[in-house]
Amino acid sequence: MPNGAAQLDTRIEIVTPENIAFQYRVAGPFRRLPAYLLDAVFRALIIFAGGLIFGLTLGFSGLPGLSIGLILILWFALSWFYGGLFETFWNGQTPGKRLMRIRVVSIDGQPINGIQAVLRNFLREVDAQPFYLFQVGLLSAMMNDRFQRLGDLAAGTMVVVEEGHWLRGLTQIGDPEVARLAAQIPVNYLPKRSLARALSAYVERRGSFAWGRRLEIARHVAEPLREKFNLPPNTNLDLLLCALYYRTFITERQDEEPIVPSGSPFAEPKNPYAFAEAKPWRSPTC
Amino acid sequence: MEVSDLLTARRENWRELELMCLRFEGRSRRVIPAATVNRFASLYRSACADLALADSYQLPPGTIHYLHQLVARAHNQLYRSRTFNVRGWLKELFVAVPQRLFNDNCLRLAFVIFWGVFLLAYAAAYYRPGFAENTLGKEMISYLDDGFAQPVTRSSGAAGNIGGGMVGFYIWNNAGIGLRCFAMGLLGGVGGLYATVVNAAMIGATFGYMAKSPNADNFYHFVTAHAPFELTAIILCAAAGMRLGFAIVETRGLTRGDSLVKTGRESVSVVCAAVIMFLMAAGIEAFLSPSEAPYEIKALTAVLTSAMLMFYFVFLGFPKEQGRGARGEGMMNDEV
Repeated sequence: MPNGAAQLDTRIEIVTPENIAFQYRVAGPFRRLPAYLLDAVFRALIIFAGGLIFGLTLGFSGLPGLSIGLILILWFALSWFYGGLFETFWNGQTPGKRLMRIRVVSIDGQPINGIQAVLRNFLREVDAQPFYLFQVGLLSAMMNDRFQRLGDLAAGTMVVVEEGHWLRGLTQIGDPEVARLAAQIPVNYLPKRSLARALSAYVERRGSFAWGRRLEIARHVAEPLREKFNLPPNTNLDLLLCALYYRTFITERQDEEPIVPSGSPFAEPKNPYAFAEAKPWRSPTC
Repeated sequence: MEVSDLLTARRENWRELELMCLRFEGRSRRVIPAATVNRFASLYRSACADLALADSYQLPPGTIHYLHQLVARAHNQLYRSRTFNVRGWLKELFVAVPQRLFNDNCLRLAFVIFWGVFLLAYAAAYYRPGFAENTLGKEMISYLDDGFAQPVTRSSGAAGNIGGGMVGFYIWNNAGIGLRCFAMGLLGGVGGLYATVVNAAMIGATFGYMAKSPNADNFYHFVTAHAPFELTAIILCAAAGMRLGFAIVETRGLTRGDSLVKTGRESVSVVCAAVIMFLMAAGIEAFLSPSEAPYEIKALTAVLTSAMLMFYFVFLGFPKEQGRGARGEGMMNDEV
């Protein structure tokens, strides 16, 4: 186990030289197989094009043997060095990988170098055994938590997903009922971090739930809160959570010190955690 | 500071970083002005800091997810893969590799196994009728009988054409066999061992069979010139593969994974040296071996190539004082 903790999903945590821990999602066989097939198609196309060019130019000028030789050299070069060269010069990607939005990186998160790229592509030969159906590679990928085939294990690399994830702002709540409820929440009530996280997860997703389902989900958290705040029993629990979200994330809290000083995080030696702690920061999972 | 204010304050920076990532990802090699790099680095650091403090900022999970992805993306651009370093590779090939091979037990083992099996198969094929037929198969035997019935001659006019074709074939076939031999070694060293034994038996049986046949002269006329490079390259590949396989078993104090990674890193340049040998052997095999040049020239080529190999393995490989060897190792890991 790389992190000393049980891994639940396909996220791998990396600690950067900046001493920040961030996460990668490793790519499984269902992303890597299409990338491999795409690359195989590209290779076949290149060989075909090369064959056409050499055959037409050399073949008709009386050197058919030479054209076959060049095609075989091209074939050799593509079948053994295609992946290695592309991954070296394209920062861990081949055309197929780029299309499938995956990338090869070292297991420590660093980009791969030429040696690693060449090695993992040489060793594809073993992973493809027997009969070029990749059973060895699949077996190896199943047995470790980074989906590494044998070539990846030997080169110290893994394949990660490049996620295109758009920044979503805070959810805007237009319901006037929410503002009214928010005003009824005691001013000194401050949700704990875990609750704040749960609140924002709920509010971001509640749009995709039906009315009854929302109540069913909200009840577990909102029911005790309603009693705590002394709100009437007919309070809409879904909206109560929205109100709490509104209070936590959106409205100003004038009556207390800000939790974190504003401005650039570098200019804040006041923060006891920023520089004192040698351990890498583990940012919260989502 | 409220989360909503924080988000609006930071969003500009994040967007700018994202746009820069997008721009850098598009171009594979381009000179980027220093000011842009500086700006990128400082944006990246502040995004890192935001991510690190996300918990105390109480950012919503969606934003944290976005930040993880943004930092990963920028990290990939900031620490790009280093490009090919010609001088580093030359140094690796001519300083570090021979030094490493000189003390490589796997190479010795592969050498002994290869030549042992070769001699055994040679003797068996020579003295026991039927051994060669069983080992090589009927097809190969008839190919050998027909192929070497005539003395090797080729009119020099067609040399460029046919020779060019044969270079391609020998590279594709022989170097492919060598690389496969290397890769198979990963299976506990057994795959490489198997490939070595099979290749040695086949080649030995061929030599033994041909030595007895009336076409022996034609055969030796063909094989002499390119044999040193080709056989050495095969042995090198097999040995590198075996070392990779044994690295899982004999870890020298590392974990199995680390030992494999370390050995893998070292074996790549050895295999590249072998591929270069295959390329040279293919050139000789396609142009000199089938030509009508007298046997003396071919024998001289064999002697010269063997001398080159001796120079490479013994002279360049002879253990130097500690400092140079260590520097070679260091280069391997840092610069290439």
